[in-house]
Amino acid sequence: MKVTLVMKPATKSFIPIEAESIVPKNFLAGTDLSVWRGNRELRLDEVFSISVEGDADRVEDVEVVLSGDTSRLKRVGEYMDGGKITILGGIGMHCGNFMSDGTIEVHGNADGWLGREMAGGTIICRGDAADYCASGYRGGRKGMTGGTVEVFGRAGDFLAESIAAGTVIVHGDAGDMAGAEMHGGTLVVHGNCSRPAANMKSGSCYVFGTAQGMLPTFRKVGTIQHEGRTLIQFTGDIANRGKGNLFVKDYKYLD
Amino acid sequence: MSELLVKNACVIDPLRGINAETMDIAIRDGRIVEEVSGAAEVIDARGMLTMPGGVDSHTHICGTKVNFGRYMSPEDMRAGRTPRRGPMHATSGYSVPTTYGNSYRYSVMGYTTLLEGAMAPLEARHTHEEFIYTPLQDTMANTLFDGNWAIMEAIRDGDTKRVAAIIAWTLRAVKGFGVKLTNPGGTEAWQWGKNVSCIRDPVPYFEVTPAEIIRSIVEANELLHLPHSVHLHCNNLGTPGNYTCTLGSFGLIPDLNPKRQTLYATHVQYHAYGGSGWKDFCSKSEPIANFVNMRPQIVIDMGQVMFGRTTTMTADGPMEFNLYRLHHDKWSNHDVELETGSGIIPVVYRRKNLVNSIMWAIGLELALLTKSPWQCLLTTDNPNGAPFVKYPEIIALLMSKRYRDAEFATVHPDTGSRVPLPAIERELDWYEIAVMTRAGQAKALGIQEIGKGHLGPGAYADVAVYPIRIDDVDPSVDYQKVIEAFGQTEYTIKRGRVVARRGECVVDGSNATFWVKPRVSEAYDMGKDPDFIEKFDRYYTVRMRNYPVQEEYLNRNRCIETEAEI
Repeated sequence: MKVTLVMKPATKSFIPIEAESIVPKNFLAGTDLSVWRGNRELRLDEVFSISVEGDADRVEDVEVVLSGDTSRLKRVGEYMDGGKITILGGIGMHCGNFMSDGTIEVHGNADGWLGREMAGGTIICRGDAADYCASGYRGGRKGMTGGTVEVFGRAGDFLAESIAAGTVIVHGDAGDMAGAEMHGGTLVVHGNCSRPAANMKSGSCYVFGTAQGMLPTFRKVGTIQHEGRTLIQFTGDIANRGKGNLFVKDYKYLD
Repeated sequence: MSELLVKNACVIDPLRGINAETMDIAIRDGRIVEEVSGAAEVIDARGMLTMPGGVDSHTHICGTKVNFGRYMSPEDMRAGRTPRRGPMHATSGYSVPTTYGNSYRYSVMGYTTLLEGAMAPLEARHTHEEFIYTPLQDTMANTLFDGNWAIMEAIRDGDTKRVAAIIAWTLRAVKGFGVKLTNPGGTEAWQWGKNVSCIRDPVPYFEVTPAEIIRSIVEANELLHLPHSVHLHCNNLGTPGNYTCTLGSFGLIPDLNPKRQTLYATHVQYHAYGGSGWKDFCSKSEPIANFVNMRPQIVIDMGQVMFGRTTTMTADGPMEFNLYRLHHDKWSNHDVELETGSGIIPVVYRRKNLVNSIMWAIGLELALLTKSPWQCLLTTDNPNGAPFVKYPEIIALLMSKRYRDAEFATVHPDTGSRVPLPAIERELDWYEIAVMTRAGQAKALGIQEIGKGHLGPGAYADVAVYPIRIDDVDPSVDYQKVIEAFGQTEYTIKRGRVVARRGECVVDGSNATFWVKPRVSEAYDMGKDPDFIEKFDRYYTVRMRNYPVQEEYLNRNRCIETEAEI
């Protein structure tokens, strides 16, 4: 089953829409769903032109395609547990919160909190991801606990904060505090980032570019070969018992 | 004129000595009266247990540290969410719920009066603003004086009258109700990276000891004739062997007031530990309870720990740092300039943990070994020992030996050798529970004279009707029924209006905040004292004229004026 949702042009397009109902599972029972714009509840067909092709019994067979100006659409794919969501443009904040299975593919840029506290499944972002991509929530203990997030553009600050398991790969640069409070899982940044893996307890963090503002609390171990690259290995943050591993291509301490 | 008549109620009203008499309660315009006209609205209580509205004399529900507890724990805010329903706002949170969450859940349990246990004077506005959004309970705030620079200087100079004058000015400025000492001297020492180990350790720079602070402030409190006594959180909370320090602090207290206690010692469970370390940690509830039994000038509250998830928050900054070093989890620390500090960490109390099991037993032992229920009140130091929604379970534990034994069988197997709980046969009765949850608390706070905690004519019409007939239920056997009944009232009546009915809050409510204004002579008005003003302007980051909380921060307030001796 393929559900295509085309965003209708709205007069006040800057008001965010809370669309946690856009999850493949919900479309098994039809398209009689609602979303919220500000404090007003709207039927799905008031916001989108909907077309449905075929039908499905299992969530795995459902694909939702979103197009139009979806950059203010929040919480798409929250608690998603299977199926596929394809977003042809950009997507608003909190896309794929808590998802446990399935695939989300974003062809444009993703706003903050992409894949926050996700537990499984796959998120692919072909553009840039904003701050707090694949991170935990403020004050929370655990961030991502499984699954994969792959960003082909850049990522913002606090990438994969508090990651506990799973894999995050960013092909461009990442911002400040990538992998802060990491206690498991794997973070790979192909470009540069600053202050990676602060206070890490466990897990592995790879920076294939330059680690700017490298924290002084990581102890250098030596160099290793990793997938054809020569990387410098550090222990985890010794301010927090020195567990885990940080690998960087190059690094620069703060002046 | 609105009138209400609660008929055929089985009333327990300890402040008037009424024990399970079937009677009618007449209410007019928010007050209890002798009788009402035939036009009054009638509620048939059909013999159900009816008591004055509950009073919690030590809880943390409003203020900056409570709010920090909220935003450092998103996982706690996700627990206990309820949607908007009728006049009820949406709520969230379990151990530190939103203000509406606190208010609704307390109201459903029949509570109508709450005392916020610790308000930093500098941050009083925040507390009062949250009080406004705690609509179904009347509120009061204990004000922190444990590390107040001006007071410690006055104590060093041996000038108790000046101590009283500073307390009077501050209470009036921040609209506080009582005097709270949290680890006196210790939080100030913490600003130097230190702590005090007990009452004889001097505070850095000021060179006064906690013992001097306690003695002097207790005397000052009585000079001001405040309704409540000094409210003390002893030094050395939560460390093995601290019971000697607690006994030492209690021993400092003379009997100065014929109407009420001279010292209210809070969450004493955390201060009744024996042993020299965690390895031989044990209960010392017996010496503490015996000491309290011999001294009518002391009232304690339990600070009961219940198993499960909660958040600890206190002005005792150094203690929270020690807890952080045990748990290595989230921790918040906060300094309030010239006054006090605070610390917050989330915790989980587990049955499998020996220390937690012993703590659970100590709270119950204190309540059972203290002979007079007027001297040991029921609290969990919400949310430090457990969220207040656990009160019904605690009531059932106190009323049923059988329930205690059943629970005891599930805790750590070594607990039996460390605590006297299994040997205690006492089961509290309904009257004693009524004392521990409302009458005793109102008396200890000194608010029975303004009409709280009893159902005599003239009193505030705060009434809780519980769906249980005490003649039909044997609490020692049917403890499950006790838990259900105290968990949800049939009617909660606040100031003459039904505010909660079978778990639903039915009105938006409007609370009142009680605060105290001691009247002192011109010579002791600190607002005109040149030395006080000069130091205030030199050391505080706020101007003295901007410091007092304006009355518009108090929605509806009742000022209690006292005549001070200075």
